[in-house]
Amino acid sequence: MSPIFLIQAINVLYGVTTLAVLVLGLAVIFGLLGVLNIAHGEFVMVGAYCAWAVTADGLPFLLAVPLALVVCGLLGLVVERVLIRPLYHRPFDTLVATWGLSLLLRKTAEAIFGLGFRSVRLPLAGTWHFLGVDYPSYRLVLIAVSILVLAALFLWYGSSRTGMRIRAMVGNADLAQAQGIAVKRLAAGTFIAGTILAGLGGVMVAPLVPVQPFMGLDYVLRAFFVLVVGGLGSVLGVLAGAGAIGGLDSVVSALIDGTYGYFTVLVVAILFLWLRPRGIFAHN
Amino acid sequence: MTGQRSAPAPAAQDPAPAPGLVFEAVEGGYGSATVVRGLSGMAAPGEVLCVLGRNGVGKSTLMKLLLGYIPCLAGRVLLDGRPLDRLDPPARRRRGITYCPQERPVFDDLSVRDNLTLMRHDRTLAAFAPYFARFPILERRLNQHAGTLSGGEKKILSIVRGLSEEERVVLLDEPSEGVQWENILHMAELIAERKAKGVAFIVVEQNLAFAERIADRYLVMDQGKSVLAGPRAEIGRDAILAHLHV
Amino acid sequence: MTEGKLAITRRTLLGTAMGGAALSLAPGLIGRAAAAAGEFKIGLFIPLSGPASLFGPTGRACATLAADEANKKGGILGRQIKLFIADAGGPPADTAKSAVRLMLQDGIDLAIGSHDSATMEALVSTFKGKIPYVYTPVYQGGECDFNVYCLGETPAQQVEPSVTWLARNKHAKTFYLIGDDYVSPRKTNEAAKKYIAAVGGKVVGEEYVPFGAPNKFEQSVTRIKGVNPDVVLITLVGADNVNFNRTFAGFGLDKSIARLSMLLEENTLKGIGAESSNNLYSCMAYFAAIDNPANNAFKAAYTAMFGANAPQLGTIGVDSYAGVNFAKALVEKAHGTNARKCMAASEGVRFEAAAGPVTMHGRQVDKNMYLANCNGGQFNIVATFKNMKSGTTCKV
Repeated sequence: MSPIFLIQAINVLYGVTTLAVLVLGLAVIFGLLGVLNIAHGEFVMVGAYCAWAVTADGLPFLLAVPLALVVCGLLGLVVERVLIRPLYHRPFDTLVATWGLSLLLRKTAEAIFGLGFRSVRLPLAGTWHFLGVDYPSYRLVLIAVSILVLAALFLWYGSSRTGMRIRAMVGNADLAQAQGIAVKRLAAGTFIAGTILAGLGGVMVAPLVPVQPFMGLDYVLRAFFVLVVGGLGSVLGVLAGAGAIGGLDSVVSALIDGTYGYFTVLVVAILFLWLRPRGIFAHN
Repeated sequence: MTGQRSAPAPAAQDPAPAPGLVFEAVEGGYGSATVVRGLSGMAAPGEVLCVLGRNGVGKSTLMKLLLGYIPCLAGRVLLDGRPLDRLDPPARRRRGITYCPQERPVFDDLSVRDNLTLMRHDRTLAAFAPYFARFPILERRLNQHAGTLSGGEKKILSIVRGLSEEERVVLLDEPSEGVQWENILHMAELIAERKAKGVAFIVVEQNLAFAERIADRYLVMDQGKSVLAGPRAEIGRDAILAHLHV
Repeated sequence: MTEGKLAITRRTLLGTAMGGAALSLAPGLIGRAAAAAGEFKIGLFIPLSGPASLFGPTGRACATLAADEANKKGGILGRQIKLFIADAGGPPADTAKSAVRLMLQDGIDLAIGSHDSATMEALVSTFKGKIPYVYTPVYQGGECDFNVYCLGETPAQQVEPSVTWLARNKHAKTFYLIGDDYVSPRKTNEAAKKYIAAVGGKVVGEEYVPFGAPNKFEQSVTRIKGVNPDVVLITLVGADNVNFNRTFAGFGLDKSIARLSMLLEENTLKGIGAESSNNLYSCMAYFAAIDNPANNAFKAAYTAMFGANAPQLGTIGVDSYAGVNFAKALVEKAHGTNARKCMAASEGVRFEAAAGPVTMHGRQVDKNMYLANCNGGQFNIVATFKNMKSGTTCKV
């Protein structure tokens, strides 16, 4: 196996795992609450600025994790309370509301930080040598962290008491209420978890990309493609969607070029919308 | 100390509040359509109130009013004399009201086991042995998704879950729908056992034979109103049937 | 209704413009009649929204500085310059609408634009040569429409000298081309291939990524690693440029492969960051770091007017300074804004750009070019190419 081929294979793994983590928050909120949070990318952006703020002050990069947790959590709390809660079960209204929110967050970031690119210094520079190839250390760590986060969430959702109650709420909200599950609070918690996940995704990618107010748009687009393919309401769907979209994009980009990679993603997304609008695992 | 001594004072002034679940002249519905109009009734501890009536006369709507899914436009609901008006369904559950709905009675996406243990602190099946003795089918299907059960099996799962909560008030909406007669009899036994321990029931039913086995009082509804109400002993089968069939 | 009216007005105007010498005299006459009393109105089209709005504040400040300096010396033909600023950061059609309004309502005498080439094309077909249109930023060259004047760097000025320099000084023989997939990078690369061949170099790879898509560059960088060229010639812009260069350095390729970026100014370099900028080159007509008397004076005036926290200086933005100075030089030489007279007067007109005086030939500008390496996230000028020709000569 040629070293270049191996690196491209790791690139595919990197593309899929990081995409899955970046989509997770959106998928949680959309799949579980039926709220399409257009501002998802802006929460990623907020997380990235947290990483910038921490490192610009000379503090260790890892401090960005608790900072993003607090900032995106509080933001999620307020947004859920004033914007989302009055609009549950009104999908179009939440779409418009979160779209407005995305503009607001972008403009706020622009007002605070300006439009200029910010760069976050890589917390782990250099490459690691293994199996005869060199691969950037930070990206390898990201792959590992992404897999851990996904696995942890998967296990937690499937077996914890709260995970089970969320599934109960999603499947049958009336019955969940009858059994004493405080659905409003649980939904708020789920929304906040989604925004926090987005923020942590932002912290993760911040050292790799230009940090700027518009960066969220990049993530929300790919995230929607993943949801289109993966369908709603299952962690497995997110993984399948991220695998299909991230994998196809990475593989075609590696084999031909980025334009064909993007083209393939668009075609697949359109085919899914057309032929399997409920996603890959939809059962009739 | 002084607080403790003065506590019983209000009871001396008011007549003792009626225990159990009481609803007084409740009204409500969906949007601009009022479905339930001025209904009153009660289930005292150790008593079963059977709500009868044809399809679409507002029986399930009455349940939703009692549980707080939809607001009462008029009248009020009291538990042991305390009004429940401002409480949402989870809060009423915490006050001690169990509910087994007619539609979608179980969590289809959860296993039978998870359906039973979802809200149990110990998350074990220890408390279910007496129920499994009556409904062995449940024990055999513990690891199956509840969505794969038949309609009648879901009803059984639902009532077992509800009764196992061991609360003071239980609301059942058509518990016998789709259930085999043999299992309906088991349900009736279970209800009788709980009743003997002082539990108050309100049961919406279409199945008169089942209702006759469990009811202490009847409330027969038509077009959202009470058309016949009173103790079982005072209401004959023919009078009820006159309202159940057109 | 209004649309219909507007269409008629536009058609009338269009007729005026197309109607030959006799009719085209009319606007000139009106212009001259107003000259004694009124202001000289310049429409300034800069991005104030969208991702490129990063450059808007610099462009506004630099144009304001130039207008202020000119007004102190009597304005243009004795008329004080007034700037009408319009957003050119949205869709080209929106910018064209603003242009119609500025022409019809405000009656601008001349337009200056610093924006992408798609917007340039929209504005060219809106103005239709009725007023002089000065297009100031770096672009792909070759624009020769009637009454249009281009001041920016062209591939002939950017690529030719820097490729030659890399071939001579860094023994570069193999080149890999990567760009965003739209007109400007493809045209630039077309030109680049000629220059690379001319120095005996070889293009060993060429790829484009979709413009405006959320691009990632792991695959491209790995491909480049496999090909192992001497130089990567980058025609990516904005966030793509930052992303690519950070990924490139992340994979450790910066140690052995040189990069030459065609649109790399101060803001983009800030995004790329110090640790990803080694062995990265940029060739521009302006860097804030250029140390010559003209630029030092310009920077001093800029700081004096806008303070220490003024918008970051860079070639895009600073081009508006040259734009206003060129407008003054051109209109005064032509004694007005008559299209044919302006076209004729443009030949050989000399005016101040931020880093020193430049001369227009064939409605393009000959200028000094600076090659900088970006080690440590700073532009360090390593070579100056004097008086480079634009490679485009338009009829005057």
